[in-house]
Amino acid sequence: MKRFECMKRLGAKLENELVILSLGASVDEWYNAAPHMRAASLFQQQLGCVTPEAFGLAVGLPHRRVVSLDTDGGLMFNLGILATLANEQPRNLLVVVWDNECYQSIGGPPTHTAGRVNLAAVARGTGIEHAYLVEDLDAFEQHCIKGLAADTPYVIVAKVEPSVEPGIKRKHSDGREDKYIFVRHVEASEGIVIMGPSEHN
Amino acid sequence: MLESAVNKVIAGLKAAGVSVVCYLPDSLFKELYPALDRDPDIRTIRVTNEGEGAAICGGVFLSGKRAALIMENSGLRASIEPLARMGMGAGIPVIMLMSYRGDLGENNWWAIPHGMTMEPLLEAMRIPYRIVTEEGAIERAIKDAFSWSYAAYSHSAIVLSEGLVR
Repeated sequence: MKRFECMKRLGAKLENELVILSLGASVDEWYNAAPHMRAASLFQQQLGCVTPEAFGLAVGLPHRRVVSLDTDGGLMFNLGILATLANEQPRNLLVVVWDNECYQSIGGPPTHTAGRVNLAAVARGTGIEHAYLVEDLDAFEQHCIKGLAADTPYVIVAKVEPSVEPGIKRKHSDGREDKYIFVRHVEASEGIVIMGPSEHN
Repeated sequence: MLESAVNKVIAGLKAAGVSVVCYLPDSLFKELYPALDRDPDIRTIRVTNEGEGAAICGGVFLSGKRAALIMENSGLRASIEPLARMGMGAGIPVIMLMSYRGDLGENNWWAIPHGMTMEPLLEAMRIPYRIVTEEGAIERAIKDAFSWSYAAYSHSAIVLSEGLVR
């Protein structure tokens, strides 16, 4: 299963959701697979932070669906977040883990999921009832539909090839610019102020 | 920790607009955590390590709500990686409230590193901080930390001294 194809299937189902995603090649792939979601996606370079940040966003905006696009290496950096999600039971959070069984962005040395580790089983073991290992594109799409409508945390561990979609446009912005774009999108779509003007005092 | 100091912390958090607190419990703040859990205006989230708590607080910032990370000062060491990436890399601020373990007067050998590492790490991370020693200064310190972090979009920390939390 190709990550880029999964992203196109997922992206086609998104409109008002907010997305936080992980580092590496998946950033550029998501930038191209779901161009309508660029401002609604926070592109981060933070191993272990993606799903916790998505959960924090989901806590702050309980009426809004939040999607975390995490990775096998990123999630294993902080498995504890699964336990926290299991106990907190957010009603508006879908977690997709792109599991390519390697640290792709540094050349591909294996992660532990290339061995005996099943992250969906880990998630279920923490108490997340809906956590699934998916290896087929149609099954992935069906789980996305269910996960986007679920009122308990939903985890899809998508087994994907360790390849990068060729010929895609690179994202040029850095973490700060991405944050401003994302925050301004949240402000506009929610009618709120997050980063407001100075006080003039 | 005296009930009056607990109340000052909660008053400070509310004055700063905080509605979410992430914490990993420690012994010095042990009276604070259940008081936060009981407060109807604050959602508490227990985390598995302080770095996870920092990242959750970062996500709350992006929602427009205000969060605080509450922990023993040893939690700073567990938080360094997410703090560096979120704060220095993206300008996503986290405001921390920590108990001062390992200050002069400490009588536990295992807590000595907490005191030795806290200020050098805060300085290395360019995190401005205030060590509060008087109960009457707690509320203002918390408000000030939020004011600064929401102007700088960078982390800040309030440390409650041993005298306030023992």
